[in-house]
Amino acid sequence: MTFSGVISNGWKSTHGKRPPALLLASAAAVAFAALIPVVYLFVRSIEAGPDWTDIVWRTSTAAVFGRTFLLIVLVTIVSVTVAVPIAWLTVKSNIPLRKVLAVASVLPLVIPSFVMATTVIEMYSPKGVVQGWLAGLGVDRIPDIYGLGGATLVLVLMTYPYVLLTVRGALRRMDPALEEAARAMGYGPIHTFRAVTLPMLRPAIAGGSLLVALYTLSDFGGVALLRYQTFTSTIMTQYESSIDRTLAAVLSLFLVAVAVLLLVGEGFTRGRGGYHRSTVGAVRVSRRIDMGHWRWAAAAVVGVPVLIGLIVPVGVLAYWLVRGLLNDQELLPLLIPARNSLYVSLLAAVTTVLAALPIAILAVRFRSRLSRLFERSVYIGFGLPGVVVALSLVFFGINVARPLYQSIWLLIFAYGVLFLPASVGALRSSLLQVNPRVEEAAQSLGSSQWRVIFSITIPLVMPGAFAGGAMVFLLTMKELPATLILSPIGYRTLSSSIWSAASEAFFAKTAAAALLLVLVAGVPTAYLTLRGHGDNSEASDRSLVIKKGAL
Amino acid sequence: MKMPWSRKQAYLSLPLGAVSDAAAAAMAIPILPSTETGVIHLQGVECRYPGSDSPAISDFNLLVRPGEFVSILGRSGAGKTTALRVVAGFEQVTSGYVRIGGQLVGSSFVHVPPDKRRIGLVFQDYALFPHLTVARNVEFGLKYLSADERNSKIAPVLKMVGMSGYESRYVHELSGGQQQRVAIARALATNPVALLLDEPFSNLDRQLRAALRRDIKRIVRESGATTLLVTHDREEALATSDRIAVMGESRIEQIGTPEEVYQNPVSAAVAKLIGSCDLIPGVFMGGVVVTEAGVFPTRVTTESSMSDGQQVLALMRASELELAAASEGDERTATVEAREFEGEFSEYSLRLDSRTLLRVRRRAANVLEIGSRVTVHTRDESKVIVFAV
Repeated sequence: MTFSGVISNGWKSTHGKRPPALLLASAAAVAFAALIPVVYLFVRSIEAGPDWTDIVWRTSTAAVFGRTFLLIVLVTIVSVTVAVPIAWLTVKSNIPLRKVLAVASVLPLVIPSFVMATTVIEMYSPKGVVQGWLAGLGVDRIPDIYGLGGATLVLVLMTYPYVLLTVRGALRRMDPALEEAARAMGYGPIHTFRAVTLPMLRPAIAGGSLLVALYTLSDFGGVALLRYQTFTSTIMTQYESSIDRTLAAVLSLFLVAVAVLLLVGEGFTRGRGGYHRSTVGAVRVSRRIDMGHWRWAAAAVVGVPVLIGLIVPVGVLAYWLVRGLLNDQELLPLLIPARNSLYVSLLAAVTTVLAALPIAILAVRFRSRLSRLFERSVYIGFGLPGVVVALSLVFFGINVARPLYQSIWLLIFAYGVLFLPASVGALRSSLLQVNPRVEEAAQSLGSSQWRVIFSITIPLVMPGAFAGGAMVFLLTMKELPATLILSPIGYRTLSSSIWSAASEAFFAKTAAAALLLVLVAGVPTAYLTLRGHGDNSEASDRSLVIKKGAL
Repeated sequence: MKMPWSRKQAYLSLPLGAVSDAAAAAMAIPILPSTETGVIHLQGVECRYPGSDSPAISDFNLLVRPGEFVSILGRSGAGKTTALRVVAGFEQVTSGYVRIGGQLVGSSFVHVPPDKRRIGLVFQDYALFPHLTVARNVEFGLKYLSADERNSKIAPVLKMVGMSGYESRYVHELSGGQQQRVAIARALATNPVALLLDEPFSNLDRQLRAALRRDIKRIVRESGATTLLVTHDREEALATSDRIAVMGESRIEQIGTPEEVYQNPVSAAVAKLIGSCDLIPGVFMGGVVVTEAGVFPTRVTTESSMSDGQQVLALMRASELELAAASEGDERTATVEAREFEGEFSEYSLRLDSRTLLRVRRRAANVLEIGSRVTVHTRDESKVIVFAV
């Protein structure tokens, strides 16, 4: 179909309303910009000529593919195994400290992977704390933390909360009458869980697993510190070491292909229903199941991941900080990187929300084939690893947009492409809650479509805009690969300065910066999760998921 | 009382960015002659949603005259809200002509957007702006006035709907009935050409509904606004309207004063919508209808004539029937199946021999026992309306 064909068909929206031309134009511009990295990567790889097939079929590429695949499968399986029982126990049972544990079990995801990795190495490496304790008991050598085992540990700790959040949302949404019906028909509690609960949770588990797999695929800091080579870390190495960056481009394209495969494999469970649930009425809460004497053991099941994934890492950072302050050790300079991080993150948040507005308004209020196309192209950032976007923009900057290269704006562009889905998602759900009749009322009172958008729609979606902006802010603070590749020379943010110290094994120096980063990300996340235990649980859990989905 | 203000002159003539009647004629597009100018005039209107097989409304004709209060009565899904949205400009028509104040605003080739139609619209869920106070809601449509002029107009409108003193409240601080009043004030403040009400009472409880209905009738009369109301509630339509347009599937079946439509429904469907009734089959025989429940004098409301022996449906209204205990030898009898006591009257449910149900309302005195055999008669010389099958 020709482009004009798309437009003329697209205009026949469900209510015969035509979007204002300027809205359409700005949405088109945003969608086009979001597609630049992928398109340019293609262009660049094709320019590489016939060589690129050799690269793909090289044995080392196959080995990297195998290792990445192995890690993804392992991390996903372990994350689901850890998360589903926690979700069930924190929603449906009467374990002690249930509310505290419900919040705490989500929090490991606020720790950036490179920070988590440093603390894991400190604790469990052959020269680590645990080995020190065990030596006194006569254990000479614990299994080596470097490699697959350590990478899996780090990634599971930071990704199981994605499965936890999606499954918990599904459990809360589920009508308790279904389980009660099964019980009334003579099913025992375990049989009920297997025959009713688990099948109902399957889409949520699939959705959460997709997030885990995509995160694992795109993580750089964690796997690099634990010396496990995946696609992403190979691309980074290639990019940093070689003069010809075509190899990195081709490998990136391969990475995109894997991400697309994961998205397709998940079977489009994401976004089916869910968003459009319109009943706001109180959901009947099922009675929590009394665990009897087992409730303390059950609390331990929830508590162990919290201990390993949250308390120990934060404890290690605090220990480093205190020891550093007492011994007058050198710490990373905080002020400049913190100021830079704040500045870049704010800028990214504002730009991304502004870019998301026309896309979201068009998608919700003027539904058509064209508006869906725009929304889809924006969601491409959902599956794109940061390293791919950054690399492509480097090529783009050097060859096409030379004035942007080595400026902060190319970095903001990358954050925008990566995190647009988070802000579009937040705005979208906020817009869906605005009664379209309210906008029609304004129009019948003589307001043009533009005035309706500015005087009614935008004021009413401000909460969503703030939520979306906050997510982009947090994600930008933690982002590593794109920050490393695209920051102007000498421009240090919190995450890039932590990384450069950590990659040279000066872990203790990172303590203050890392704690600051964890706090900045952790407090709002804890707040959102806490609020989730009020009336608005589902929405806030989902907003967290959307936010994390864009990582 | 006319509203003491009117819009600026520029707004009085509809700013049609599109085609006027004359221009359309010049373009040699056939336009049906408009014999009468009403405030709202729909001629042969069809509205079809994309992707749907059958039109939501088709061959829809309606004329609302200045100052008139007209209701569209129909069951849900009949297309009555679509008709309202066509008038307001939220739906584009696929054929036919929509005129407001004599100006063509909607057809297959003209579509004046809602903000250029000067229509006051009150939504079923009120659609008040949640981020604005009552006063800011009311003045929203007055943006062409200066701040002082705006403020001077808020007070009289709020007074008219009985909401003085609530200016600085937010919408969520108001009850449903209060929100309703603010919605009407907001619509009337702009001095619209016509006021459209979409099921305005359906979100209110029963007692509040009757009181508010009377209030709104008064407000509308005071403002002199031409009003089109859409409802599925026959009581509402009968009590408020100057004329009622009864909608069947996608088109208007009958239009007239409440009394006309109630007394002379032109079809069984209209009869069922306009009043509680039972329809039983019978045979037309020289001025009477022979049914299972008895033989009744008839009248015909449609123009077609009845021939003897024709199969018909007899319209039986509970309040026009009377019962008597059956005696030996009575041919057409029924059994009392249930009796509901309502105070002065009781409603009897009769079971005919073919298992058909028939309801009769009669004075509560002279109780007829459940299970007894009765005969059915028309009360006070009233005649039974029959429709051809």
